[in-house]
Amino acid sequence: MSFPIGPAHSVSRGAGALIAAAACLLLALPGGAGAQEPPRRILSLNLCADQLLLALLPPERIVSLTWLSRSEGDPDLVPLARRIAANHGTAEEVLAAQPDLVIAGTYTTSATRRLLARTATPLLELPAVQDWAGIRRVTRQVARAVGAEARGAALLSQMDATLAALARTRPADPVRVISWGGGGSDVPGRDTLFDQILTAAGGENLGAPLAGRASVDLEQLLQARPEVLMRGSAYAAMPAVRNQAAAHRLIQRLYPQAQLTYPEALYGCGVPKAAQAALALRAQLLAARAARGPR
Amino acid sequence: MRGQRRAPLLGLLLAALAALFVLSLLSGRVWLSAAQVWDALRSPSDQLPSLIVRELRLPRAVLACLVGATLGLAGAVLQGLTRNPLAEPGLLGVSSGAALGAVLAIYTGLATALPLATPVLGLLGAFAAALLTLTLGRGGGVLVLILAGAAVSGLMLAGTALALNLAPNPYAAYEISMWLLGSLADKSWDHVLLAAPFIVAGLLLLASTGRALDALGLGEVQAESLGIDLARVRAVVLVGTALSVGAATSVTGAIGFIGLLAPHLVRPFVGHEPRQVLLPAALAGALLLLAADIGTRLLPFEQELKLGVLTGLTGTPFFLWLVLRLRRVAP
Amino acid sequence: MTRLAASGLKVSRGGRWILQSVSVEAQRGEFIAVLGPNGAGKSTLLSVLAGLLKPEEGRVLLDGQPVAGIAPRLLARRRAFLPQNPRCDWPLPVERLVALGLTPSLPAFGGFTAEDGARIELALAACDLLEHRQQSATTLSGGELSRAMLARALVGDPDLLIIDEPLTGLDPRHALDAARRLGRLAREQGKLVIAAVHDLNLALRHATRIWALRDGRLLADGPAATTLNAALLREVYDVTGCVAGEGAQAYVDYA
Repeated sequence: MSFPIGPAHSVSRGAGALIAAAACLLLALPGGAGAQEPPRRILSLNLCADQLLLALLPPERIVSLTWLSRSEGDPDLVPLARRIAANHGTAEEVLAAQPDLVIAGTYTTSATRRLLARTATPLLELPAVQDWAGIRRVTRQVARAVGAEARGAALLSQMDATLAALARTRPADPVRVISWGGGGSDVPGRDTLFDQILTAAGGENLGAPLAGRASVDLEQLLQARPEVLMRGSAYAAMPAVRNQAAAHRLIQRLYPQAQLTYPEALYGCGVPKAAQAALALRAQLLAARAARGPR
Repeated sequence: MRGQRRAPLLGLLLAALAALFVLSLLSGRVWLSAAQVWDALRSPSDQLPSLIVRELRLPRAVLACLVGATLGLAGAVLQGLTRNPLAEPGLLGVSSGAALGAVLAIYTGLATALPLATPVLGLLGAFAAALLTLTLGRGGGVLVLILAGAAVSGLMLAGTALALNLAPNPYAAYEISMWLLGSLADKSWDHVLLAAPFIVAGLLLLASTGRALDALGLGEVQAESLGIDLARVRAVVLVGTALSVGAATSVTGAIGFIGLLAPHLVRPFVGHEPRQVLLPAALAGALLLLAADIGTRLLPFEQELKLGVLTGLTGTPFFLWLVLRLRRVAP
Repeated sequence: MTRLAASGLKVSRGGRWILQSVSVEAQRGEFIAVLGPNGAGKSTLLSVLAGLLKPEEGRVLLDGQPVAGIAPRLLARRRAFLPQNPRCDWPLPVERLVALGLTPSLPAFGGFTAEDGARIELALAACDLLEHRQQSATTLSGGELSRAMLARALVGDPDLLIIDEPLTGLDPRHALDAARRLGRLAREQGKLVIAAVHDLNLALRHATRIWALRDGRLLADGPAATTLNAALLREVYDVTGCVAGEGAQAYVDYA
């Protein structure tokens, strides 16, 4: 697994839609007056929810974000996230913060659920997102829950405009790409947001046919003959063994200038900004192909 | 007589090693025919078969032989030194020291900055552990040395656990624990070049102790009366183990059972004299590790099986057999 | 010419004197029985004489050369040492066990020469082990094992043999055998044999000389026949006894 927290491309394919359908506001907002008024104190227990909240709300309405958002989130939003309190997902922190809305991933612990039920705190569970439609659905859902529908709609129309522009200028010959985290880590397959973003950017996901296997080794990587290697940058700032596998002398020799890292929070979370990520990737892919020259 | 059975055994082991080496070049997730492998070996090119065979499978097979021989020889030497059939290469704390060093390299980010920081820090860890064991066990007999090794092992394991505990993120902890299970996957010539000098130096040191180990079979007092400098032998074994096992562990992670089993596998053929066991045990170790590494590639699991897991799973039944056999032959 | 001379040996352990100013001398052709009660310091004295234990004071000279200054391997070629109850941890065939006695003269790598083979044959024959040569050392009887160990000590043809209690634990016939063998080694081959012995009759009949120790002091040093008497028995062992007979018929009796 390359990205164990929050929805990522490794989340089982197909399950997302079901979860999305099931996701709902578990509890009605408490109190008569509160029914109309949007929640003021929102707490996030999920890195992807962090990203959406930062995009939708002014910081003062967020009680706390996950500690991961300070290092692993969208790099553009990390400075903002650092100004907001961080939580480590413990029940104590949730209680002490007295939130009036908690947003979590689909894997909320039962202890946290029970706790929130006892304090009558509404809990919103975000489903995993695997495509553009999922982004639209989840963004609207969260925007509605926090009372930021207008901001949500604006973000989505911006996303759709970017996607349309990308589609118009798609290169005739897609750039052959494999996303590979180094020894033993997984490769995103067809039903992943990564695949959608890559396709929108004008790349071909060579990993898709290999993704049935949990890991792809260097032999298979070479056999796929990619033009560009991509690596998720979650924890890129952190030391990791896979960086060493990726430093294999063969990789360095064959792909000296064709290794891209991408912010995994943007590629795995399902936020409207994913379209901008695709736009940035388009430029990087074409530049890498140009640098590589004809082969 | 034993001498007459040793030569055929060595021949057999070498032949089997050669056969497995070839098999190792043939196995992998990308199917290559024997002809393709042969062509790749003869003429380097940037074609896929050549890259796979020369840059991926060849260093992997060479590393398997080096590391396996290290484990087998170190196991045989330590069993000889301690006159204990359960001694194994990690006995003196060296492999846990190497593991701690490597984990620290990963954990602190040195490994990212310098690709070879993991093996280098692993070696340093092995030496630190060896030095500590030697200091703690100085002046005592082999028993004190074993106890010192156990204490140092415990300390190093605790350090590794601490590093896992404090790992900056869950992914790092996951990676460290996977690394600890041992693997030869995706190793390059860089790893071979880095580890080989230390491994070879260590193996030579270990092999030089044969006579002393033979004499030690008579007990420490008799060995000393036969002109053996016991303190020197212990130091040579410790340094040899730190060099070879330290380098091996820091490149491949911890791989259990091979060092314990290899000597036992060859003793029925070459007898119990420690010196006669050394070379066959080294070859048997290389054979076992090469076979295990081929196994990790051929077994149809989605995730490549880790070497330490495979040797542990297949080693345990052998170990049980060994216990039952020892119970029968023990006086 | 073999001449062993020790002077003013002092060894202490745990604040207690194990040896207090012991001085002895011995030369080739002698079979010296070291007598004394348990804890008298016999084993310590033998270890010091063998150069395996450094005394706190005093020194041991082998042919005028301090043993502490002789390289362990060179010393090992001239002096063989067997501790109490020597045993072998590996199930080696007897001939391999005996061959271990050649360790100090063998190179680090490589096998045995024809000459080594001949020495092993000689040692096996001298200790009546030819029929046991292939037997595992761990399956030998007590008497056989002690012969195998003696062969191990003899195989390198040392001038000086130091053996701690070679007769203990053997039945009368084997003990007698072993004592005769040690006596012959001294008389016929001119070796210097120093052995700790508890069987006073065997010491009396086969040793050329006795050293009697008690509480780390040398109480008597002289020919067995004239030195071992009722007074010494009382002084060394606290027993009342008598020594009678002469030569091979001499015997010690105590109540």
